Amino acid sequence: MLERDAAKYPFLKEAVRLVDALNIQLNDLADPSFSKILDRATERVTEAIIEGVVEAKLEDYMTELLSYPVASMLVSLKGDSFLDRRYALAEAVRIYFLLMKEDSKTLFDIAINEFNWDLQNTKENYDGQTYPFKLFFNNYLHSSSIFHEDKWKLVNRILKNGYVLLQQNEVARLIQGEVEMLIRERVSNRVNFDLPSPIKLKLEEISKIFEENRRKIGAEDLPLEVIREAFPPCMTYCLEGLLSGRRASHMERFALTSFLINVGMPIESIVDLYVSVTDFDEALTRYQIEHIAGLKGNKTRYTPPLCDTLRTHGICRNKDEICERIKHPLNYYRIKAKRVIASQPKENGTNIINN
Amino acid sequence: MLLNLKKMVQTLSIINIQIIYFSPIFKLLCALKLDMESDWGSTKFVVEQFSKWYRNNAKTIPAPTEIKLREFAFLTFEGRTMFRHISFKDEVVLHRYLIDNAPANSYHSSSYYKHPDYDMNEKGWIGADLVFDIDADHFNLPCQTEHDKWLCRNCGKTGVGKPPELCECGKAQFQTETWLCEKCLQAAKNETQKLLDILIQDFGFTTKNDLVVNFSGNRGYHVHVRNKNVRYFDQSSRREIVDYILGTGIKPEYIGFNPKGHGGRSILGDEGWRGRVGKALYDFVDDSSSETIKSLNLSRTLTQNLINKKSEFLIALQNNHPSFILKKFAGRDEERIITDLDTILKIAIKQQSADIDTVVTTDIHRLIRLPNTLHGKTGWQTQTINPENISDYDPFTNAIVFKGEEVKLFVRWAPKIRIGDTTYGEYNEEKVTLPLAVAIFLLCKKGARVIN
Ligand code: SF4
Ligand SMILES: [Zn+2]
Ligand SMILES: [Zn+2]
Repeated sequence: MLERDAAKYPFLKEAVRLVDALNIQLNDLADPSFSKILDRATERVTEAIIEGVVEAKLEDYMTELLSYPVASMLVSLKGDSFLDRRYALAEAVRIYFLLMKEDSKTLFDIAINEFNWDLQNTKENYDGQTYPFKLFFNNYLHSSSIFHEDKWKLVNRILKNGYVLLQQNEVARLIQGEVEMLIRERVSNRVNFDLPSPIKLKLEEISKIFEENRRKIGAEDLPLEVIREAFPPCMTYCLEGLLSGRRASHMERFALTSFLINVGMPIESIVDLYVSVTDFDEALTRYQIEHIAGLKGNKTRYTPPLCDTLRTHGICRNKDEICERIKHPLNYYRIKAKRVIASQPKENGTNIINN
Repeated sequence: MLLNLKKMVQTLSIINIQIIYFSPIFKLLCALKLDMESDWGSTKFVVEQFSKWYRNNAKTIPAPTEIKLREFAFLTFEGRTMFRHISFKDEVVLHRYLIDNAPANSYHSSSYYKHPDYDMNEKGWIGADLVFDIDADHFNLPCQTEHDKWLCRNCGKTGVGKPPELCECGKAQFQTETWLCEKCLQAAKNETQKLLDILIQDFGFTTKNDLVVNFSGNRGYHVHVRNKNVRYFDQSSRREIVDYILGTGIKPEYIGFNPKGHGGRSILGDEGWRGRVGKALYDFVDDSSSETIKSLNLSRTLTQNLINKKSEFLIALQNNHPSFILKKFAGRDEERIITDLDTILKIAIKQQSADIDTVVTTDIHRLIRLPNTLHGKTGWQTQTINPENISDYDPFTNAIVFKGEEVKLFVRWAPKIRIGDTTYGEYNEEKVTLPLAVAIFLLCKKGARVIN
């Protein structure tokens, strides 16, 4: 493989082999001769934070190639899951733009050799458009799983005999999805070791830029108070249902409970809520809520299901304009809470559920 | 008040059954019978029959594939606890268990585990079959008012069909009694056939290699997809498949209904949802009276066109691309077109989708009925059936396994039911002598008790 290709697509198995063969150690990176690589790595991460996409700089392809694993390391060292996702997406978008310029043979090579896809040529025509590719639906479901636009839902695709019809740019986009997941997984592997000072400095630089941009890129935390007005329609539906004593499915109760926990409602209040409106057994209710909160059992704190999941189970109701922009009820809450706070003078800001 | 009465019934029945029978409160107590499962069903008799059946037939029950990796679970007639986290190293041990215990209900995990007998958190999930549950309980069918009842445990109100979301007393604590009839099982079968069509045509599964279809033994059907490719699907992939089968999230513009479309051919002959929606739309417009069409509240232009130019519309649907049809019949207001399309497509999708239970398919730790065992709520067999012959399958004949002597029963209430070629009932507080197969069914439904 050409180094230039490796620089374009550093996640490819062969590119990784190429980098491994150079056997660069952490301390080497502190050496001034590597400063170009360290600089470019830092730049990759800051581009991801600020622009949301990493630019492809292919003139100095060795620097480009070697800066990729270093950038991943920096992100992983920073240890912020929001940054993980942002960086993975930014690298994946860079790759998407490059793939758009490739011929179909290169796409086939990557899809088949790297991701073991069952991708085939075909020639089908629908709505006046030609579909030159078809992909086995398993592979499709995996690679499209992080897209949430309606267009990528399986039900909106042409699925025939196990294969999804695709156009060339769609194949590139699906590879992007696959790459994004790959990088996400890689950077979310937390590492921890003593860093030589040049790397430490770079990490501080990244942290600073990340903090400065936190708000702008939507990585800020949820408000401290529970703001009832900011609940998404689905959660309002669940809550009102509960208050009126309607029979609620397990999914509904799980979604509401995990939502309330995540927006910061105290467990006591949630238990009271359930016990007051139903005749649930208090001890059992508390146990279940604590389980969802991650205080019991396997200690994982549950987040509410994605909008897609809520939609499948018929809980997504009365969608509004914010819903069109989000994929997760907590994100709805985050956006709406900001608006509610902004539109209200501090004095009467007591829309808190406190019973 | 209610609670006290319940207690009284229990104590009284121990002392002397005669007292209740002739006492003035008998009528009142009858209303509470729903609540007293323990009195009805002659558990001991049914257990004996189940045991006998398992002794003679357990060996004919095939183990699920990769039995070593499956969890098994069982319910007895007496207790309410489920015996679970059980594993069997082979078919022989499973058969022995069935013979020794004659369970009321038997289940196995759709999942494969490294240690199926460990606690949930330590089981080591490997994968899971893709399973679909079609259950007439979830449908809204007119026949339910003929054979289903409910009782509010809070205020004592009773009713027929499905219980309301909330009782008039403001609570939602219902006890239900559900039976079945040919209509609901036919409805369940229709949904199953639609599901199979989608799984075969769209997903490319084959009846020969991938699909196992079971009659549930009560009010529905289960379809298992056993295929290495689906085994490792996570919940989000399974959810996409559920959405596909239910048609959840279909956007008209992606199946051709785009007012800005480039054109193309008619969707009537297309595969997948395009063709399905096209056909449903065709049938709907063809069959609808002008009143039905008016009741949809579509735009004036579209309503008039669907009524006055019906045949033109149908011909266009056969020959032209939907974008052409929209231009020609739906007027100019694009936003209005979109809302009208939503209204019409909802009807078309409902007709063509298969009504599966969303939770069962997305749950990757599901316990599902062990095929070819007995169902404790009917005494019928949970049967594996050949998907090719599903249209000829008759649960009222094929799933009936108890043969033999007649049994004397006192029936408190049972709707009409066909078993084999004979129809029995309805019965209302009467003594009857019935073939074993019918008796077991009424007893399992807790609608009768054995008398001597
Ligand atoms: S889109 Fe998401 S947030 Fe909005 S109602 Fe549906 S599930 Fe809730
Ligand atoms: Zn009531
Ligand atoms: Zn019925």
